[in-house]
Amino acid sequence: MPDESKNDEILIEIEGMKKWFPIKSGMLSPVKSYVRAVDGVDLQVMRGETLGIVGESGCGKTTLGRVLLGLIPITEGSVHYDGEDIRNMSNRDLRRRLQIVFQDPGGSMNPRMSVRSIVGEPLQVNGLSEGAELTQKVAELLDSVGLKREHMNRFPHEFSGGQKQRIALARSLSLDPEFILLDEPTSALDVSVQAQVLNLLEQIQEKHGLTFVFITHALNVVNHICDRVAVMYLGKIVEIANTGDLFSKPAHPYTHALMSAIPEPSLEKASRERIVLSGDVPSPANPPSGCRFHTRCPIAEKGLCDVEEPPLEIIDSGSHGVACHFPLGPGMKLPILDDAQIHPEDDDEPTTIVL
Amino acid sequence: MSDNLLEIEGLRVHFDTLDGPIEALHSVDLNVEQGQIMGLVGESGCGKSVTSLVTIGLATCDVDEGSVKYEGENLLFRDSEADKRLQDISGWVTVIGVFASIMSFFGMLLTPISLLFRDFLLIFISITIASWVGGFVAKGKYRRHQKFMRWVRGNEISMIFQEPMTALNPLYTVEKQISEVMREHDRLVVPETPRYIRVGQALVRPATLVVDAFSSKPQSSIATFSTLALVLFAHLRGFADPTAAAIASPFVFIFKAIFSFIEVLYALGNATINLNPVAVIELGSSVTTPEKFGIIILIGFAYLLMKIPVLVSKYAPGYESLPTQLVQQIPLVFTTALILFLLLWMPLSALLAMTIITTLLSLPGIIMVNYLGLDPAHRRQVIGILEDVRIPNPSAVVKMYPHELSGGMRQRVMIAMMMACEPKLLIADEPTTALDVTIQAQILKLMRDLRDEKGTAILLITHDLGVIAEMCDAVTVMYAGSVVETGSIGDVLSRPRMPYSIGLLHSIPTIDEGADRRDVLPIIPGQVPDPNLHFDGCRFHPRCPFADETCITTPPPMIEVEPGHFAACHHTDSIGENVAEVQAAFDVFAAEYGLEGVD
Repeated sequence: MPDESKNDEILIEIEGMKKWFPIKSGMLSPVKSYVRAVDGVDLQVMRGETLGIVGESGCGKTTLGRVLLGLIPITEGSVHYDGEDIRNMSNRDLRRRLQIVFQDPGGSMNPRMSVRSIVGEPLQVNGLSEGAELTQKVAELLDSVGLKREHMNRFPHEFSGGQKQRIALARSLSLDPEFILLDEPTSALDVSVQAQVLNLLEQIQEKHGLTFVFITHALNVVNHICDRVAVMYLGKIVEIANTGDLFSKPAHPYTHALMSAIPEPSLEKASRERIVLSGDVPSPANPPSGCRFHTRCPIAEKGLCDVEEPPLEIIDSGSHGVACHFPLGPGMKLPILDDAQIHPEDDDEPTTIVL
Repeated sequence: MSDNLLEIEGLRVHFDTLDGPIEALHSVDLNVEQGQIMGLVGESGCGKSVTSLVTIGLATCDVDEGSVKYEGENLLFRDSEADKRLQDISGWVTVIGVFASIMSFFGMLLTPISLLFRDFLLIFISITIASWVGGFVAKGKYRRHQKFMRWVRGNEISMIFQEPMTALNPLYTVEKQISEVMREHDRLVVPETPRYIRVGQALVRPATLVVDAFSSKPQSSIATFSTLALVLFAHLRGFADPTAAAIASPFVFIFKAIFSFIEVLYALGNATINLNPVAVIELGSSVTTPEKFGIIILIGFAYLLMKIPVLVSKYAPGYESLPTQLVQQIPLVFTTALILFLLLWMPLSALLAMTIITTLLSLPGIIMVNYLGLDPAHRRQVIGILEDVRIPNPSAVVKMYPHELSGGMRQRVMIAMMMACEPKLLIADEPTTALDVTIQAQILKLMRDLRDEKGTAILLITHDLGVIAEMCDAVTVMYAGSVVETGSIGDVLSRPRMPYSIGLLHSIPTIDEGADRRDVLPIIPGQVPDPNLHFDGCRFHPRCPFADETCITTPPPMIEVEPGHFAACHHTDSIGENVAEVQAAFDVFAAEYGLEGVD
């Protein structure tokens, strides 16, 4: 990577993070079981980097992000921000230094507030500026995300999806935070607008020296914006590596499957053989035994993968970790199997995700 | 007749709004051949969905020009001028006639010369009826067309919507929703059991419910029914009231204790504020007996003892000890006791009356639900369709409700519903946009397999050119309500001629190893113009790096650049085959455009 020098200071350290949600059935019944949304995650975010978190829906990416910001209490483990446990930090301090951009920009804004009050509200709440000074500051913020001063008195419904996402970004920038969590900021946008927003994010990161955690399910977006990528599956990290390493030599079968599932707009690639994973993500309330991916994995071995859980081990270079009994080497390919070949006897209830 | 399944020619539509008409489509020409997968691509607001809705007659817009033909049959209906005038006139005459009838009715009541008003009333009523009938007849063709469209929808052309959760009805099971489509179009097989047997079964169903309960849950059923028998016996023998009092006594005890506790608090509060000395002394003497204090302390201890395991279990997930479970049963015990108390406390006559009324009210419901349930033959038919869309364990899925299914499964159920009548054309409006990439790959594979097996043509609407490359045989690019490029998939993706298509292709992030993370992603600067704006020339010119005077003044014609490959641009020749140069031009132009992207 180009800037190795700035990637040595740990900004956020997550140790054994667990977040379990209780499942209650009805008013009178006791807690039946738990949805293990995040189940033991160790992760470090370096200052100034962009860390991507990738996985399907129901893998616990968003929960991880919310626990990271202290929006929901952690069940077990700890999150240290700049050496300080976030449970000991005051809410005001936490929100000033850590910010978030949500997936649905329209849903995260009050439709009755003008852009000026949406972007300026954090400043007012924290007593940083008022009146003409506030207006001036909001104008600067809007300018930095490519909007104009005259948009200040408009309302959210008057903007397109990409513009709303810019406003959300301006709001998260208003307190001059050190860290922004981007929770699928481009999933709801068209490809052309997505490219505009991604470029803007890069510019803002350079300008303000921000640290990003970028949650997404699209690996092709990750390639353009992230320094490091963590692949999540059912509440656990199955592979973590520098972006270049991950894309040149992915080791976990799940990463392979995710990469091959991306549709590419060129005919040579469209005709290539692709791995189509069978079924959905299993329910996190009742995760499979052993390696959690073994129910969908084409190379799972009976007697090992469904019994023993693989630990996250470092392979080749120091930064590439993978949790698999049979990590794939560079250039190796997964066998292409039909659904029936993978689990001929699999006749359970279809998996549904309760979240 | 060619082998074109769907032919759209020169379609121009507008929406009527309070701010005046908005032109949604300007000129759309589109052909879908038998068994072809045609892609329709463009950004949001380019009119892709409107085109598809107009095709199946669900759009609320007015069609100005153009035709939509399905196998030679016209899907668009426009009244002839004479019919329209007749409808207008009859509408007005009806309104005036009704008004006049009402006036003359009042006149008949109020004035002395009521005979004259009676004649007026008769005349006005006959005029009203005549004009209404005239309007009804004039609308006959329209009604016949609506009937035809209902037959086309689902039967010949069906549509998959973007968001399966909103397209499915959350109140019905999967089998119900799929069989509804088939019933509408008479595709259900002959039922296995004849109707009179089903009616008989439904009538005896309430009685069999009791038997079912005993066979499935014998223990709890015996407990419930013996309790009810006991209640009845107590009422008949006359010891119901003492039993009710016995059940209530522990609760009375607890409530008394709680109330005395509240009294103590009240007294203490009053003592400090010292409002009325006499009242405080009275209250104090009433609560400060040693027995009452003892009860309060006992209750407090009991409460704490109950609370501890709950607290412990809260902070250690997965931990469920026996006392915890016992404590968690307490509300259930309370509720049971309360119901039992009510049954015993109530007079027998009231209890019987309540039972009879609720039974009579619920019987028709039970019978109807059972009668309207699916026939086994129809259920097998639905399961067969679900198997076609590769749903695992379909016999369990048919009984589920949409919220119990995951996103990919819901989309499969949608596809199953659409395939139920084996239509010849499937319109898929962004079928995978809301799904994960892995699930998207599954759904796309499924749609392609269905095409290969059954020869269904698909019109795939999406904004993702990657999906297009994967699925389609031909592609049509739309921009701001008009088609800007069309051709076979190979032509358009490898030799695009319209700058917009090039920009779209260019702006998709790739996972190529060569792509560096610090590269600026190529973009199309700006955004789709407001449909209200009027353009003399090319609608893409504000965002196009090649725009010149001609582009601003003259609309570009559709030029056939190669056989079967059309592009609407003045510069097709200069753009030629050199896509890389165009992309470079886009990058330079985007840099000049700056962060703008706003009108």
